[in-house]
Amino acid sequence: MIKLYDYELSGNCYKLRLFMNILDVEYEPVAIDFYPGKEHKSEWFLKINPLGQLPVLNDDGFVLRDAQAILVYLASKFDRSGKWYPTDQPELLGAINQWMAFSDGITSTSSAARLHDGLFYDFDIEACRAGAHRLFRILDEHLWFEEKQGNSWLCSADHPTIADIACFPYVILSEEGGISRQDYPAIRRWTDRVKRIPGFMVMSGVFPAGPAFKQQNQEMSA
Amino acid sequence: MTVCTDKTVLDQWYAIGAVAEMEAGVESHTILLEEALCYAIDGLGIPRAWRQSVGEQNPLPVQCAYGYVWTCLGEPSGDIFTIPEFFETDRRNMNAASIGVNVSAPRAIENFLDMGHFPYVHTDILGVEPHTEVKEYDVEISEKNDEILATRCRFFQPMASTASGGGADVEYVYRVPHPFCSVLYKSSPMDESRMDVIAVFLQPVDQEHIRAHMMLSVLDEANDDKTIRMFQQTIFGQDKPILENQFPKRLPLDPRAETPIRADKSAITYRRWLSRKGISYGVIPAAA
Amino acid sequence: METLQRNWYPIASSSDLPFRHTFHGQLLGREFAVWRADDGYVNVWENRCLHRGVRLSIGINDGAELKCQYHGWRYANRTAGCTYIPAHPADAPARTICNRTYPAVEQYGLIWSGESPDGEPPQIAEFDSGVPFALRPIPVNAPADLVASKLGEYTFQPSARIDGDGATVQSEIGPAGCISLMSAEDDVASRVLFFVQPVDSNRSVIRGVLCECPEPPDEHAVLMHHNQRVSALRDLIEAEAVKLPTPEPMQPVIHRVSEELASMPQQTLSGRTAPLRVQVSRKWDAADGIAGIELTAVNGQLPTFQPGAHIDVHMPNGLVRQYSLTNGPGETQSYTIGVKLEPDSRGGSQCMHEDVRQGDVLAISEPRNNFPLRRDAIETLFVAGGIGITPLLSMARALGHSNLPHELHYFAQSGQHMAFPDVLASLDEALVPHLGLDPQATGKQLDKLLGGYEPAMHLYVCGPGPMLEATRRIAAEHGWPDESVHFEYFKNTNEIDDSSSFEIDLARSVMTLQVPAGKTILEVLRDSGVDVPSSCEQGACGTCMTTVLEGEPDHQDVYLNESEKSSGDCIMTCVSRAKSDRLVLDI
Repeated sequence: MIKLYDYELSGNCYKLRLFMNILDVEYEPVAIDFYPGKEHKSEWFLKINPLGQLPVLNDDGFVLRDAQAILVYLASKFDRSGKWYPTDQPELLGAINQWMAFSDGITSTSSAARLHDGLFYDFDIEACRAGAHRLFRILDEHLWFEEKQGNSWLCSADHPTIADIACFPYVILSEEGGISRQDYPAIRRWTDRVKRIPGFMVMSGVFPAGPAFKQQNQEMSA
Repeated sequence: MTVCTDKTVLDQWYAIGAVAEMEAGVESHTILLEEALCYAIDGLGIPRAWRQSVGEQNPLPVQCAYGYVWTCLGEPSGDIFTIPEFFETDRRNMNAASIGVNVSAPRAIENFLDMGHFPYVHTDILGVEPHTEVKEYDVEISEKNDEILATRCRFFQPMASTASGGGADVEYVYRVPHPFCSVLYKSSPMDESRMDVIAVFLQPVDQEHIRAHMMLSVLDEANDDKTIRMFQQTIFGQDKPILENQFPKRLPLDPRAETPIRADKSAITYRRWLSRKGISYGVIPAAA
Repeated sequence: METLQRNWYPIASSSDLPFRHTFHGQLLGREFAVWRADDGYVNVWENRCLHRGVRLSIGINDGAELKCQYHGWRYANRTAGCTYIPAHPADAPARTICNRTYPAVEQYGLIWSGESPDGEPPQIAEFDSGVPFALRPIPVNAPADLVASKLGEYTFQPSARIDGDGATVQSEIGPAGCISLMSAEDDVASRVLFFVQPVDSNRSVIRGVLCECPEPPDEHAVLMHHNQRVSALRDLIEAEAVKLPTPEPMQPVIHRVSEELASMPQQTLSGRTAPLRVQVSRKWDAADGIAGIELTAVNGQLPTFQPGAHIDVHMPNGLVRQYSLTNGPGETQSYTIGVKLEPDSRGGSQCMHEDVRQGDVLAISEPRNNFPLRRDAIETLFVAGGIGITPLLSMARALGHSNLPHELHYFAQSGQHMAFPDVLASLDEALVPHLGLDPQATGKQLDKLLGGYEPAMHLYVCGPGPMLEATRRIAAEHGWPDESVHFEYFKNTNEIDDSSSFEIDLARSVMTLQVPAGKTILEVLRDSGVDVPSSCEQGACGTCMTTVLEGEPDHQDVYLNESEKSSGDCIMTCVSRAKSDRLVLDI
């Protein structure tokens, strides 16, 4: 069975819990005392991931670190629809990887601000917040124009991709780092849509969405 | 010269860091009531704390209690309140975490006293729809200890019993022995006659930011410390976005600021108690 | 500031409000939760649940109501009145718990609102000739006046020459303080109007609207063109704003709630008043012998109702009758009632059927709820007989909308006698009709239905007296406790014995009064100037319920259940009397 080295309050771990729930993949979480125990920096854990970072996935002995890399692995191995990471569509694949890299930028700004405010990490908080706002402006603009063209998701597809999963957690948790999303209405609408993906689950700090409008339901199942 | 001018608040003891998270001889830094502090503990477990602006030569009053270092910026008005259960030898005591929240201390205390949100905020853990009723309970201010005591609190919890796997009413007792600290007792799944203790010691960083220090004293033998700690962080992490979305951030003491219901009896008592103490820090005092 | 508060401003684009979404807005420092109900109505509310101040913009828009994330309080579309407080499932919330609402007008692709704006939102002549086309709004971290002054320097290409670069642009101050810019190149021109929304002292949103919608193939390019240019201008404005001293954020006034809400309110409505004027906006045959009547407010907004609520209708012939509302959640633009023509009508139902016509104006009371619906049941059974369907229809629609488990058993003579077939159809499989059963067969059916009682199940019954009696008896036989069986009689058919005489002490008003034979407690109270709420005045509706502090009541009503009656701590003052010489009432 898949093992996920996991910390409940980590948005990067949540990406994988969320995606495995959507794909209905069974896994066993291994709780790591990230805070206050700093177990991810312990000797035993550094043997598993020398970077001392969460999450790490162990699939029957195959060990993989980095949330985005793990998303690619999970989609390629378990997504029978082939829609979450469609390897046969070069443009879409490029776009997915572009937004996956963008999600790393969200982590280094929005997640860093949250670690500063919530867990007292010694970061330049103003720089983190300003950086996140810069990225959110780009993201909001992108999503607004996608909506205008009838697309609900980050990568112009009629179906969400792992890029949506990669970007979602540290966008939805940004307020815990003092980064309001009030100025990003298209982002706020997109987070509603992500929350309505069948199999969606929450983590501490994320609220569920209510039921979709009926017509939207039909679109989802179509 | 202190920033905070509320003498009642200044004269309280505040937890500022977990002893278990400190290394002997290594200085830690924090902010209490808008003042930068340093604190440390030596090899013998003797704590020290001082204002960064003043220096080590003029130490602040300091003591260790319930696994945390406590200090006071004014003149301590008394000793730290007691949690007798902490000293029972068969309990496991631990610091669950210290977490920063963008909210005033009294708003966070009020949330800690509240049961009605369990099905909505702690869905499937501490409560679940449709079991939403807050049954009648008792609240009193104990004149002897000057603390709030809420008893006979019961709330439906799914999976309350590991044996039956079903939901049942769980009993809670709440104490507020300090304007910014609260102690919760919850019937233990291990021993029905005794209660687990979950305490929250709030360190007001300023009027709208806190560090919430959580202390657990439990009878649990089935789970390891890490599991219990992570559970507590999950719960607190669910409350955090609610607290950070409350407006105004400071707790309004005017009875007409918000709309209470019977379930809010303990919160109403808490607001009146703060008013009576003349607390002005972290609250919006009622107009005279 | 005060003058600004009297202005109308756009606060969102129409496209910001898809169904089932809650938009987070702000104007002059005041935050808004803005949401569109499934019926299209746009709600602009203060962004703060009245209970504990939690932002409603994180709440759930379920299409009919907005639900707070903290304690699940529900607020109705349009009225913003609280319809349900889950912590106290057996109580009907005081309908005066109402969020602050702000005006909302949707026009030109924008949502217009204001703190306390004068009159109507501006009518803009520039938009009359074509189809206005809203651009992507651009938030700016700068004061509104700085933004407005810089917008005069905005340059752009006309929509039909979007790839060119030679347009000349003229700017002027347009209607409603907007910046109006005309771009011309060769023989084509486009006009754009920019409205600046003052979000806070140092934050604004630029909301641009083109006077003419571009040709469809150009739409995207035009939107991109303006987005790119306005964004570039925004960067310039922000660079300038950071050099200025940062103004203090605006402090919107947080209004106090009413005095009665500062503690859990008691019911304080007085008398049998009819403060509302409504117009019969529709009247139709809802079934054989049942008139459906839709009532719409003559002025303003109808008050919030909860499932189970009834209104008093004051008829043209002077009679007063109670009718339950059948409306579903969020259906707040009108009240719909069903009126059965009673063969032995004393003039009430006959008047409603024969005299009342579409367009007539009637006086009604505010909705009152003495038949509140709990939503914490593991399963809810509704048993309706005939016209008793009306309150249960509203209840079943509320539970159905929230996906709570329930069944509606509808006993009727035939399919033609089932009222409101279109609404019934929307209940899907929750509706179970039982048609054409005689009393004996009805009893058998009830026996089957009520067999599986489990704790936390609840039963609601409304129908003719004999059927109600039978249902209550069968439920009791199957172990249903009194507190799980909720019922509402249409009328009290008990013969009232008013031969006793006794004394009443009013504990709070410190008065002692004599109730002689032939007069009710209610009448004696009224004669002495004590105002008590009432509605049916025949012991059926529960409105006049009063707490008994001492003495033994002689219950003659059909509202209280047996355990409530035997506890002796409340009384219906409109029909019930005293067995003891004296009653002490909490009045």
